[in-house]
Amino acid sequence: MTERAVSPVRGVGAPDRPAYGPAPSNLADVLERVLDKGIVIAGDIQVNLLDIELLTVKIRLLVVSVDKAAELGIDWWRTDPMLSSEARDKELAAENEQLRARLRELDSAPSENGQ
Amino acid sequence: MSGTGRYLFAVARDLRVAELTGTQGFHGTPIDVVERDGLSAVVCDVDLGEFGEEPLTRNLEDLTWVERVARTHNDVVWRVAAAATCAPLRLVTVCADDDSVRAKVDSLRTELENVLDRIEGRQEWSVKVLVPQGAAVEAEPAATPTSGTDYLRRKREAAERRRDLSDEAVRAAREVHDVGHAHAVASRQLAPQDPRLTGRTETMILNAAYLVEAGEHEVFTTALRAAAEQHPSVTVEVEGPWPAYSFAVLG
Repeated sequence: MTERAVSPVRGVGAPDRPAYGPAPSNLADVLERVLDKGIVIAGDIQVNLLDIELLTVKIRLLVVSVDKAAELGIDWWRTDPMLSSEARDKELAAENEQLRARLRELDSAPSENGQ
Repeated sequence: MSGTGRYLFAVARDLRVAELTGTQGFHGTPIDVVERDGLSAVVCDVDLGEFGEEPLTRNLEDLTWVERVARTHNDVVWRVAAAATCAPLRLVTVCADDDSVRAKVDSLRTELENVLDRIEGRQEWSVKVLVPQGAAVEAEPAATPTSGTDYLRRKREAAERRRDLSDEAVRAAREVHDVGHAHAVASRQLAPQDPRLTGRTETMILNAAYLVEAGEHEVFTTALRAAAEQHPSVTVEVEGPWPAYSFAVLG
């Protein structure tokens, strides 16, 4: 992910405070974020079961429209690494290759400092 | 099961605690802030009879329960995000007590700081592209076929229209995404949403999240509006700014 310098909010009043839009009323918008995104910290309550159950809920809620889109031939997003294990495999293979190349470089130049 | 646990909503940095006054967690329970060396965990008490291991496995199968908890969780995150740089936690993260909360923050400090660095001064926009259902069918001629050959020809033409429509929709989705991505610090594509949850009849073909600098929201929305105008056959929905949920992931 690229990172850039943060520019200040232009506007009246508190310059460092974002003005958020209303929380989504659409349940799908809420669920896909609170179930699927955000920080995952292993709490003290039943970690393993929780993962399984959340996955069940998630699949039940999201799978139908994915298949429908695929039926229509709309599946270009399947190559997105966030969604597709196939794409993820490709990405991993590419990453492996890059790492191997980097290792070869490092092996041939042992005194070089990384960034 | 009985007793009380600490439910974690979010971990925040530079939290203006006073702005959270009156914020309630579940069943009207007030939220608390657990401080740990500059990071603040926003928590509230929960009954382990509801949020314990065994009740949770049952409750998570109940969409009504999940919805209520998800909306409360989300509302608290919204409040925290307006008062701090805020990394939301995934639903139902429950610790035994405040010591345990501090220990979790300690063990993940570097990762949490990295996430907060990534989202500081930035917000998330949700962009969706939807195709009206049955658009191709409506375009079919209404007259009854005059022969078997005519019928087959019509079927073929209808299939072609559907394909053309799909092609145009995919083009639109790609272009909208490209424009969004170009005006964002980062982007993620999410799975299209289930119509049973959205209550909509259209087919969703793009469901993406964009992380946008606080000062660039207007540029972002203007560019997307322009892209949407180029593709009147699809509906483009732009919502935000929201707390940066989709970009608050560890690792």
